[in-house]
Amino acid sequence: MLTEKGGMQIPWVPGLMHAEGYPVGSLTKLTIYLAQLCEKEGAEIYTGFAATELVEDAQGRIIGVKTGAKGLDHKGGQKSNYLPAEEIRAKTVVLGEGAFGVLTNRLLNRKKMHGARPQSYAVGVKEIIEVSPNPDRVGEIMHTFGYPSDMKTYGGGFVYWTAPNQIMVGYVYGLDYANPSANPHKLFRKFKAHPAVQAFIRGGKAVAYGAKVIPEGGYYSVPQLYNDGVMIVGDAGGLVDSLRIKGIHIAMISGRLAGETLAECWKKNDFSKQQLGQYDVKLKADPVWQQLKRVKNVRAGFSKHMFIGVMNAGFAWATCGALPFWQVSMEEDYKGMRPLSECKPDEWDIPTSQLQPDRLTDVFMSGTKHEEDQPCHIRILDKDRCVKECLPKYGAPCLHFCPAQVYTLEEDHIQVDFSNCMHCKTCQVKDPLRNVEWNFPQGGDGPRYTRM
Amino acid sequence: MHVIVCIKQVPDTTNVKINPETNTLMRDGVESILNPFDEYALEMGLKLKDTQGARVSVITMGPPQADVILRDAIARGADDGVLLTDRAFAGADTLATSYALSLAIRKVNEHPDLVLFGKQAIDGDTAQVGPGVSEYLGYTLLCNVKSLTVQGNHFQAESVYEEGSDIWEGEFPCVMTVLKEAPAPRFASLKGCMNARKAKTQWLAAKDTNADPERLGLKGSPTKVVKIFSPPVRDCEMKCVWKSDKAKALSSILDALKKKGALK
Repeated sequence: MLTEKGGMQIPWVPGLMHAEGYPVGSLTKLTIYLAQLCEKEGAEIYTGFAATELVEDAQGRIIGVKTGAKGLDHKGGQKSNYLPAEEIRAKTVVLGEGAFGVLTNRLLNRKKMHGARPQSYAVGVKEIIEVSPNPDRVGEIMHTFGYPSDMKTYGGGFVYWTAPNQIMVGYVYGLDYANPSANPHKLFRKFKAHPAVQAFIRGGKAVAYGAKVIPEGGYYSVPQLYNDGVMIVGDAGGLVDSLRIKGIHIAMISGRLAGETLAECWKKNDFSKQQLGQYDVKLKADPVWQQLKRVKNVRAGFSKHMFIGVMNAGFAWATCGALPFWQVSMEEDYKGMRPLSECKPDEWDIPTSQLQPDRLTDVFMSGTKHEEDQPCHIRILDKDRCVKECLPKYGAPCLHFCPAQVYTLEEDHIQVDFSNCMHCKTCQVKDPLRNVEWNFPQGGDGPRYTRM
Repeated sequence: MHVIVCIKQVPDTTNVKINPETNTLMRDGVESILNPFDEYALEMGLKLKDTQGARVSVITMGPPQADVILRDAIARGADDGVLLTDRAFAGADTLATSYALSLAIRKVNEHPDLVLFGKQAIDGDTAQVGPGVSEYLGYTLLCNVKSLTVQGNHFQAESVYEEGSDIWEGEFPCVMTVLKEAPAPRFASLKGCMNARKAKTQWLAAKDTNADPERLGLKGSPTKVVKIFSPPVRDCEMKCVWKSDKAKALSSILDALKKKGALK
């Protein structure tokens, strides 16, 4: 647990939060490797196409997806290389869109499939830092909570020494935070400046950057994971262990179970909703679901106060999730935002350096790329409200919460530099006025993570 | 009409870094892509397929992984792809590459009508292989082509230079190198990608081209790389003008440029 100047090691850490003997590595590289294995087995993977619409038949069954058109100019007109949308029909669509999947959310809204409690998110920002090689320290990891987060916001950092000269550092900040001037990128820089983190990264140089929201609502926020013609897997379904903030293993298991269910459907030639429901049955019988259940109120506890959160997590752990037995309430993250007048801005700042780059330098290192002449994929629904309502009351939090600096304040309006966007969806979660709509840019555009 | 487009797989140089100690490229996490200039050459070929019914073949030389750029080209509409791959080709400079490519072109078609190249590859930036191949083939060479119209065996092409542009009229066969000012490359459709996945590409080894082994790869390359280094950062004056209002910022930029003599 970090304090401003120092920190302390938590004396007792639950067994499952230990990770001795585990290998550490890059998730991007693992994903690429797994994709190759799938292709070797005959799976076909087509990247560079955004599925922008679910196709439904008259009975409301999902029967495929539509890809977005390419080659549109900024006004939506067709350029010389215009490629029309294509429709792909399927017996079942499996949505693995990641956190705050746009298609998934539209589906959940339309078919009322949301979980018992609104999903709550955190935003994680991460850098790869290169240091002088030290093979002895590979495998060292550190997880923190506390500073630089305030006591009322669920936040924590991680440090993974993944290769002799390479360290992954990240900071995760609960998006139910109250202070509209909170800036996750700045908090990340503060985290990196802390002596406990400096002990790892001093003298290093940031070389890659990324950001993404994490659905950490857990058990009660998991939506209905299947419907007629569709299944939801991984982060799109909120399948994250909210005590450990880990969801990759559950995502993999959910994907495997969805695959096994489909194999049975294929064998029986039955793709009915009832048969797809076997996926839900299998997942809920799996040990990972018991883990989710055990920590079902952990995240909600932290939304009150850090101290209550820790107590609550301890109770939950000790009683295998029996306590607290009720569903601790939580509201949607954006509702937690307080007016600027009630909060103090964070004046902390240090000069930029190779180890502490500014936001735009980091955005460059994410490799994010968007064709400039295309319709802006981030739409502000009512531009007047930004300056007339949001600015006086909240001071335009989008200027601060966006890890990619997409939003800047011009004289009389908020400018949207959509080509910076890293598709993290923080704006979708946290905009207090619900005034920003994130759509799909041209397929294939976005961050280029190669070793995150 | 038969158009052959020569393409190359290159590291995405927007992300390439050079290790300051060893002065070698750091390849970790760097994607391989189809050379951006070659996309425009391919588009020029595919336009001829659309308008003239031309057959479009793509050729590349590289390691087995380079097969993916052939499939990318086929996904966009190319008819067939040839990969020249052999240890014997490794380490080739522009001379040895031009030699090997010209033999492969002859192997695909003794008399193709048009051979297209991107103006240059973004890794080496030499812009020599297109002209080299035209020498070996004995074909007319047109560099920096921006637009092309064809009528039967007759073509009209616009070449752009720093001072202006030339309009050339001529007859095939011909070798052309294509600029990024040419019509924007098309996207592969999903259907195209599905077809490309199943397509058969032809792989040629050195012996298939009947090449003289002495003229291939490192052996056939008179160019020697003596040193690779990152150029030192040049001293320059930096001034932030953005924080003042826009009109002021703009006029201060104009003033500065005038003072330097860059603007009158």
